[in-house]
Amino acid sequence: MNAKRELPAKENAIFKNILRNYEHKQYKKGLKLADTILKKFPEHGETLAMKGLFLNNLEKKEEGYEFVKKGLRYDLTSHICWHVFGLLYRSDKNYEEAAKCYTHALKYNKNDMQILRDFALLQTQMRHYDALIETRTQMLQQKPTNPPFWVGLAIAYQLVGKYDLAIQTLEAHESALREMPVNFEHSELLMYHNRLLEEKGDIQAALEHLNTIEPKVCDKRALKEKRAQFLLKLNRSEEAEKAYRQLISENPDSYAYIRGLIAVKGFDSGMKEDLSLHDLTAEQQSTMLGIFDDIQKDYPRSNAARNLPLNYAKGENFRNRADVYMQTALRKGVPSLFVDIKRLYTNAEKERIVEELVTGYAKSLEENGHFNEDGTQAIEPPTAYLWTLYFLAQHYDKQRKTDLALQTIDKAIEHTPTLVELYMTKGRILKHGGKIEAAARVMNEARELDLQDRFINSKSAKYYIRDDKIAEAEKILGLFTRPDAASPLQDLTDMQCMWFALEEGDSYQRQGKLGKALKRYHTVDKFFADYFDDQFDFHTYCLRKTTLRSYIDSLQFEDNLKSSAYYIRAANGAVKAYMTLADIPKTANGMDEANMTEAEKKKARNKARKAELKAQKDKENKPPKKEQVKEEAAPKKADVKKPTDEDPDGEKYLKTQDPLASALEWIHPLEQLAPKVIDTHLLGFEVYLRKGSLLLALKALVNSHKIDKNNGQVAKNVTRFKEAVKAHPPTNEDVKAVIESQLATIS
Amino acid sequence: MAPTVTSARISLGDLTPNNIGQLRVLNKILFPVNYSDKFYKEVLEVEEFAKLAYFNDVCVGAVCCRAEPIDTNDKAAKLYIMTLGVLKPYRGQGVGKKLLNHILEHAAKDKDSNITEVYLHVQTSNQEALSFYKNQGFEITGTTNDYYKNIDDKDAHVLTKSVNQ
Repeated sequence: MNAKRELPAKENAIFKNILRNYEHKQYKKGLKLADTILKKFPEHGETLAMKGLFLNNLEKKEEGYEFVKKGLRYDLTSHICWHVFGLLYRSDKNYEEAAKCYTHALKYNKNDMQILRDFALLQTQMRHYDALIETRTQMLQQKPTNPPFWVGLAIAYQLVGKYDLAIQTLEAHESALREMPVNFEHSELLMYHNRLLEEKGDIQAALEHLNTIEPKVCDKRALKEKRAQFLLKLNRSEEAEKAYRQLISENPDSYAYIRGLIAVKGFDSGMKEDLSLHDLTAEQQSTMLGIFDDIQKDYPRSNAARNLPLNYAKGENFRNRADVYMQTALRKGVPSLFVDIKRLYTNAEKERIVEELVTGYAKSLEENGHFNEDGTQAIEPPTAYLWTLYFLAQHYDKQRKTDLALQTIDKAIEHTPTLVELYMTKGRILKHGGKIEAAARVMNEARELDLQDRFINSKSAKYYIRDDKIAEAEKILGLFTRPDAASPLQDLTDMQCMWFALEEGDSYQRQGKLGKALKRYHTVDKFFADYFDDQFDFHTYCLRKTTLRSYIDSLQFEDNLKSSAYYIRAANGAVKAYMTLADIPKTANGMDEANMTEAEKKKARNKARKAELKAQKDKENKPPKKEQVKEEAAPKKADVKKPTDEDPDGEKYLKTQDPLASALEWIHPLEQLAPKVIDTHLLGFEVYLRKGSLLLALKALVNSHKIDKNNGQVAKNVTRFKEAVKAHPPTNEDVKAVIESQLATIS
Repeated sequence: MAPTVTSARISLGDLTPNNIGQLRVLNKILFPVNYSDKFYKEVLEVEEFAKLAYFNDVCVGAVCCRAEPIDTNDKAAKLYIMTLGVLKPYRGQGVGKKLLNHILEHAAKDKDSNITEVYLHVQTSNQEALSFYKNQGFEITGTTNDYYKNIDDKDAHVLTKSVNQ
């Protein structure tokens, strides 16, 4: 033991109190005590480190680091000092550095439970699963009586795919448990055990296990669903059918249950893509539709049983079913009917039949108040005609028959000018027709009809942003943001409002304000980083609460976070902006004029000047007023720290030395998580081509061609790639050969 | 699946600053008169005497009234219907009747003032409206020539119905 570390008895007692103060979050008290020790022993490393820890928790981060480092300097072999250093890094979300500190700390005290515990959390967060197994094993060896440690080790095994070890661990744990009462925690543990068997692929064992644990499981629904799935997978059709029929009787509106039953009957469509089942024989079709009809007879209120057969029925059969389905919905006034029906349009025949039916309704309702000419039925409510027109307008809009769509929606608005949905659709039609300004105007009309609806408020704002009227949009959004926020922008950023950041980013990009655009895209990236950080607390919480199945789901969700459409959109925007930056040769006016004709140059310069003037004007016109309001509002909330934005225009992104490298930071996660999305490879191509990495560019090109060879950009990229090869032919013969052979496959 | 009864739900809703836009749109379509911002401010204050009507959850009509004191001493007042209208496709379904009944009912039990009658103006040429009010027990109690300023048919009948408190 380090002599300098030893404190006299009195100080040693104080130091123990300090540690207790930290555990109880009494930071100020702890800080005072630390100072009393330091008065006598100013070079006591561990006390210095603890002082730093307290300072860090009292929002004095820099001082905190200073003291911790000083403490370490005096006592390099103290596990406390290293642990504290790790805690500081962790609170900074610098997991890499934190992990290094923990490793050091464990070197000097390899059995410290607290350090091991923290280390395990960190390793889970960083997905260092192999190392996690070691840590978890060590924890369990030291304290085999602690149930979460057993579960923790099982999870670690599961995460690296060692199911047998995971199962063994759980079994050992379960056998040690005495007769357990039926409670939620134990039930979850058993269901988790069952999931391990399923993931391992031993369905038979999983089914048997399910039967043995049944009396102790609280989540009866999950248990029944699993049993039905297992029976289906094991081809035990009779029992599977019974299981699914039981589930359907409990919830006849579940699409999954009805699909399960269909699968039992041999129409396995991979659950979701059942539109691919179009090519059934007439006999198969009638068998299958018969199943739906039976369910419908038993459960007349089941929407799923009426909706699903629309996917499978053909010809006249489809016409009759669609007729009943749509009439019911239009009579009732179901605004989402078109959104529901349009999925069928992947089949041209169905699209035609729907159109025939609905145009027929519109004509007939207008003339005689019935859905059909031979209207022997009672007169329909006037709203039926209204919703029919609404449907029809969306139908024409989808076909991009803009004029017809506008005519139809105007007719609906004339019929009932108070319905918000009609104006929203009109706005959308105008947008699709390229009339951005008119679209924004109509969307705002819709908003004014219902000021308390945040959905239409956001829509209206979004349409203004599309028209590059940012100030207008932020004013509208401000009606719903917190009144004590510094600005609507600040509040929406705090609330992680994704669509807003993306739309503003795109707008600034259109306006040529790349700094602001990049700032918005990076805001989205920050949201994703936050989502990932947010899981940290659950590594302990879920083990304690044994919500294990959801926990594993959430880990997998976090792993795939960046395959989200929002991230892909942000990446598209950011990469495009970085490419613009990369393409600027450092000329005086910052424009790439190399490949332009004289006329083009003139045009580009004019455009740039105009944009600049406009930006200038915007700056002069808009902010001062707002700034004042902000300043007046700010002092009130002085106690809440509100970091002022030091770089509202995103200058720091413009100053990037290597735009291509910055762009790649966006693309790498996509290459890992979204390899099936064409954007990933189109964006990659842009960067690799500019970097001159021909092989990587080629790979991206081939991948994008594989995903969609009819994509217009792919064809252009092929040409661009060939030109690049011609301009800088590779010297290596092998490379040349690869390029030639690969190009042959795609051109 | 022939429905014998078509679905029709009629309900009334409060007028609020958030949905006043609906009233503006209705009035623009229904009446040849342009109402001032003052009108839209006042109707937010009269509580049950201004209502929106919904047909299958779609806003299709409205009524707006104001109480006019006859004598400030004894709370005696008349209730004047400034506007009452239903969108054309929704007429004949009982929406207007529902609005009017609501007004009559609340006029009879109004606490703030002692309402003795409900009255309104109708263009002399508006047969549809005249027969509607007559059916609901209103009587023509007078005629004002040149009541409307900027429209073609300027003359208006005054229709009145007394209220039993």
